[in-house]
Amino acid sequence: MNHLSKEELVEQYYSKGTGSARQHLETCALCAETYAELRSDLDEMKFNEPPARDAAYGDLVWQSISDSLPAYERQKRNWLGIGMMRGLSYAAACGLLVAGAFYAGRIWEVKHPQPTARVNPQQAQQPAAHPQERVVVVVLSDHLDRSERLLVQLKHADASSQEMLSPLRDEARSLLAANRICQQNMNQEDDPTLATALDRLDHLLAQLANRQGGLDAAALSQLQNEMKSDSLLFEVRVLRSRIPDRRPTANDRPQGGTI
Amino acid sequence: MFRMGTNDHEAIRAVLNGDRDAYGVLVKRHSQSLFRVAFRITRNESDAEDVVQEAFLRGYRKLEGFESRSNFGTWIYRIAVRCALDKIGGRRWDDASRVAEETDPEQEQVQVADEAAGPDRLLLSGEIGAMHEVALSSLTVTERTAFVLRHMEDCTSEEIGAALGMPPNAAKQAVFRAVRKLRSRLAPLRVKR
Repeated sequence: MNHLSKEELVEQYYSKGTGSARQHLETCALCAETYAELRSDLDEMKFNEPPARDAAYGDLVWQSISDSLPAYERQKRNWLGIGMMRGLSYAAACGLLVAGAFYAGRIWEVKHPQPTARVNPQQAQQPAAHPQERVVVVVLSDHLDRSERLLVQLKHADASSQEMLSPLRDEARSLLAANRICQQNMNQEDDPTLATALDRLDHLLAQLANRQGGLDAAALSQLQNEMKSDSLLFEVRVLRSRIPDRRPTANDRPQGGTI
Repeated sequence: MFRMGTNDHEAIRAVLNGDRDAYGVLVKRHSQSLFRVAFRITRNESDAEDVVQEAFLRGYRKLEGFESRSNFGTWIYRIAVRCALDKIGGRRWDDASRVAEETDPEQEQVQVADEAAGPDRLLLSGEIGAMHEVALSSLTVTERTAFVLRHMEDCTSEEIGAALGMPPNAAKQAVFRAVRKLRSRLAPLRVKR
């Protein structure tokens, strides 16, 4: 059995006998005897009691100090309090307003669902002529520019220089594809002259790009003669001058690259 | 105008709103308890009265920092204990704090001759109370204050710790040391009774 320490006995005395220490004292004679001695000593410790003070003592104290106490500034505290309360009120009102607007918006969205894109039936039935025209014009303008350059190079080409002919053929293949797209997109009834020019250009480009055995001096000479007899270069220049000189913008350029 | 029936918190709000006289209600209500503890610490009537006034003055200056959740009586009581300790700080307890049963350089304690009358003489003259006072005077300031608050004022270890600015367990240890020293010094009385 562990006996109570002196500290525990002192604590037991001042805590008026509560807890497990009290139970121990009821069963342990040795600790009970020690505790009895301690209690006797402490009970007999009598010290001088404070002198009595009558009921008016508080008044005397107040009289002695009241003159040296400055009054707290009511106005300052009130202003501070009012200012703080006003600020908090404004903040709370703003918060409520924002929350209310948000909630109202959510309710409105639920009750009035809007489609992400509204289609006008009349517009939907009409072909998008203008944007398509713009793209065709831009593409045609570029195509005629490139064709004109190719025809100029072809006109002055030297059959003995294969280094010059090879890029000509590559360019002709590229232009052939573009020329056919232009032909598909344009309305032949609107501009028969352009349609005819594009047909003749197609024929020339096809020969230049796909001639069997490559371009020798004879073939080159033949093509130059055909071009000259058809006045194809002149015709391309005229057509090019009829088309407004408008460079494509970022909005006009079709996505996915150029032709 | 506030009357005595007004509770402490209402009076404090009134004081902070500019009604200085409302503090008078608090002074009159708590002066007796403050004088009692001040006297028990200072052991001097005049000093105790000074302590009471100083405590209420300090309390008034710090009233803005008083938390409304606290008990004003406990709060001003604690201030009074600090004022009493300050009061005796430069007086006799400064010396008494270094008096101990044995000389201990580490704790700056020395064993000194008791200038008061010896136990036999005190006993013979029937001044047992004075003997107790002498024994109490031999304690350090902390031990004496802790013992006074525990033995006479029925304060808990938590309240003593708060008043002395120490943890409750340290306050409990201070009380225990005080009891041990007092019993040791008063042992001759026990033998002869």
